[in-house]
Amino acid sequence: MSNEILLRSIFALAIIGAGLFAYWLVNQRLLVKARSNVFTLFSKLPNKPVIVYFTTPDCAPCKTVQRPAINRVSQLLGEKLEIVEIDATQRPDLAKIWGVMSVPTTFLLDARGEARFVNNGVTRAEKLMEQLDTFSDFVI
Amino acid sequence: MSSQTLQKVDHAALKANQLFIISLNILAFIFDQPWLAAFVALVMGLGSAFKVPGFLPIYKNILKPRGWMKPDILDDNPEPHRFAQFLGFIFMTAGSTALFLGSAVLGWTLVWIVVALASLNAFGGFCVGCAVYYWLARLNLPGFGKQPPSGTFPGMKPKAGSV
Repeated sequence: MSNEILLRSIFALAIIGAGLFAYWLVNQRLLVKARSNVFTLFSKLPNKPVIVYFTTPDCAPCKTVQRPAINRVSQLLGEKLEIVEIDATQRPDLAKIWGVMSVPTTFLLDARGEARFVNNGVTRAEKLMEQLDTFSDFVI
Repeated sequence: MSSQTLQKVDHAALKANQLFIISLNILAFIFDQPWLAAFVALVMGLGSAFKVPGFLPIYKNILKPRGWMKPDILDDNPEPHRFAQFLGFIFMTAGSTALFLGSAVLGWTLVWIVVALASLNAFGGFCVGCAVYYWLARLNLPGFGKQPPSGTFPGMKPKAGSV
C-alpha cells in the first residue's frame, strides 16, 4: 500500500469517525431527553430494567425482526425485564417528547429508570442482551 | 399536510443505492480514482433519467433475490427521492469535473458531501434532498407538488402511520 493510499485511508477514517461522533452526540441527546421524560411512561418505576420499544403497525422490519428479537429477550429474562411497547401512531405525543424520529427505536432503561442505551433501527436480540448485561445491578 | 395518493416505495432499494454510492465514493477517494466518482455520477444520472435508484439493478437482481436485503415497502412519495438522487448527481458531476480539472480539494469535498448526505439517509433515515424538495413544494414551485406523508417530518423516512 503506497503512502498516499494509506494517508487517504486515514483521512477517510477520520471523516467517518467524525460522522460517527456526530451520531453518538445525537444519541446522547436522545438519552438525555429520555431520562427527563421517563415519568411520561411510569407513575412509579418498575424497579427492573425496561425496554421501551417504539413501533408502528405498518413497520415491516418491526414485525419481521425487531418484534421477534424483543420476544426472544423477553422469554429469556421473563419477569426480570419489563417491555413497554408504544405504537407511535397512537401516541405521537410520546414519540415526540422522547425524540423518536424513526421506527423501530428501542430505549433500554436500568432499574433506576435511567435511559442507558438507545438503538435507532433494528437491533438484534444478542445486542439487546449485551446492553442489558452492562447494567451493574442486573444479573442475566 | 394535504390528503394525497401515496405510492409504495421500497426503502430497501433506496438504502442499497445509498450504500453503493457511499462505498464507491470512499473507494474512489482512498485510491484517488476520479473515474470511479464519475462512474457513480453516471449511474446516479441514469437513475434520475429512468426515475429509479441508480443501483437498483444490483438490489433487484442480486441483493433481494439472495435475501441479503429485505424489501421495506412504505407508503411514500417517490418524487422527492428522485429529486434527492438528481441533486446527488449534480454534486457528483460537479465533483468529478473538478477532479478531472485538477481541483482535488473542491472535487473531493463535493464527493464527501454526497457521502455524508447519503450516510445520513441510509443510517439516520433523513433524506436532505427530500427535505429540500418539500421545502420547494411549500414555496409552490412548479414541479414540486407533493407534500410529506401525513404526520411525517419533511425528509424523514415515513413510519407508515406517522409520528
